[in-house]
Amino acid sequence: MMLATPAAGVVLILAWIYPSHALYFHIGETEKKCFIEEIPDETMVIGKYRTQLWDKLTDSFLAATPGLGMHVEIKDPDTKIILSRQYGSDGRFTFTSHTPGEHQICLHSNSTKMALFAGGKLRVHLDIQVGEHTNNYPEIAAKDKLTELQLRARQLLDQVEQIQKEQNYQRYREERFRMTSESTNQRVLWWSIAQTLILIVTGIWQMKHLKSFFEAKKLV
Amino acid sequence: MRRRWLNLDSPVFEIIFTMDLLRRKEGSGGRVLVLAVVFGWCLGSVSCFGQNLDSELTFLLQAGKSECFFQTAIKNGTMEVEYQVISGAGMDVDFTIISPEGVHLIFESRRSDGVHVVEPTVEGDYEICFDNSFSHFSEKMVFFEIIIEGQAGDVTGDEEWPGLEEPDGSLLEYKLDDIRESMDSLHKRLERSRQMQTVLRAFEARDRNLLEDNLWRVSFWSCASVLVMLCVALTQVYTVRKLFDDKRRVCS
Repeated sequence: MMLATPAAGVVLILAWIYPSHALYFHIGETEKKCFIEEIPDETMVIGKYRTQLWDKLTDSFLAATPGLGMHVEIKDPDTKIILSRQYGSDGRFTFTSHTPGEHQICLHSNSTKMALFAGGKLRVHLDIQVGEHTNNYPEIAAKDKLTELQLRARQLLDQVEQIQKEQNYQRYREERFRMTSESTNQRVLWWSIAQTLILIVTGIWQMKHLKSFFEAKKLV
Repeated sequence: MRRRWLNLDSPVFEIIFTMDLLRRKEGSGGRVLVLAVVFGWCLGSVSCFGQNLDSELTFLLQAGKSECFFQTAIKNGTMEVEYQVISGAGMDVDFTIISPEGVHLIFESRRSDGVHVVEPTVEGDYEICFDNSFSHFSEKMVFFEIIIEGQAGDVTGDEEWPGLEEPDGSLLEYKLDDIRESMDSLHKRLERSRQMQTVLRAFEARDRNLLEDNLWRVSFWSCASVLVMLCVALTQVYTVRKLFDDKRRVCS
């Protein structure tokens, strides 16, 4: 059937990039919006977005924005850029974290107007999925030839694995937290002792210096 | 009675359904293409009932600014919004939820965290706003989570993954249904655990940021204090010396 493939293709494309039930927000044309995702390592993150441009003539948001793309920049916890790409007005970006921590996802439109003159407003629908929510189960079922119950079991296993990863990451964070806390306590203690010593030493020095000064001036 | 599992699956479920349709309807290519486009579009834009949606975001709210997010809700669903300020000087923010009709449902001033449930929801876009205008210098990092649940109770959903083989369950159908029910309940609870983990993670991030701020403050003020002490000591000595210096001699 000749039209089967394009039909399936169209639906596939629509499903692939359509963040159906997502949140949306407004962003100026030259504005940059950043979101922070704190994730454990070796976790896949898929973000889907869709943009609409405010049309002054019809006073509403246009269905699709021709020509206006979005630049996506993703930084890892060490502020190293792991993804910096330009996508169209509808797009999908994906990355896998290699270090646990706060990853920063920044979006801004590729409008070339200056900040003062660009009065346009964009509506961005964004959907970010983390971990096992990124798995495409029907695809996995087709690849591994699983029955429905096997697929459900697989999904449960993935969920539990993700929860376990989060727990491990939580343990690592708690350890870091404890180290910072102990470091603060140490610092407070040592600084107090150091300040007391400095006060005593300064006092003694002052006395000695003034005594020798007055003796030199023959006042004492 | 099978329940829907993942929200992201629904457009993909549509692919399988459509492919099944294509297989069966030989020779009606044109109509099927239109059907596929319409179906894909519709399912993409209409929220399917009985689903559990969850979006969470963490963002930086600049000083003196306000940020709003919009979430589409279905009729008679439940929307739970939970937010937390995880970093910033005062650790508080103004929070508002505005219904699609423009009614200010919830307004909280200068709170550091909160949980709100809007039930039942009307069809439309709810506006969730965070306002940091009262603060002139400190920027806040805010974490929020929106959980939307479809109609609770009876969900006569279509098959989740219909293209799959099923084990020959005609004799054991009732047993399989039991297994499916418990797997379903397990799935829901695991999702809830995951959501709790997210909230706990936000709490921990907030405490960690606070602690790191404290550490910086302790170091800074200790150094400043030592410098001030040394300056004061030197100034005292110098002043006393100055008093007794020069031609104005006190009796020697």
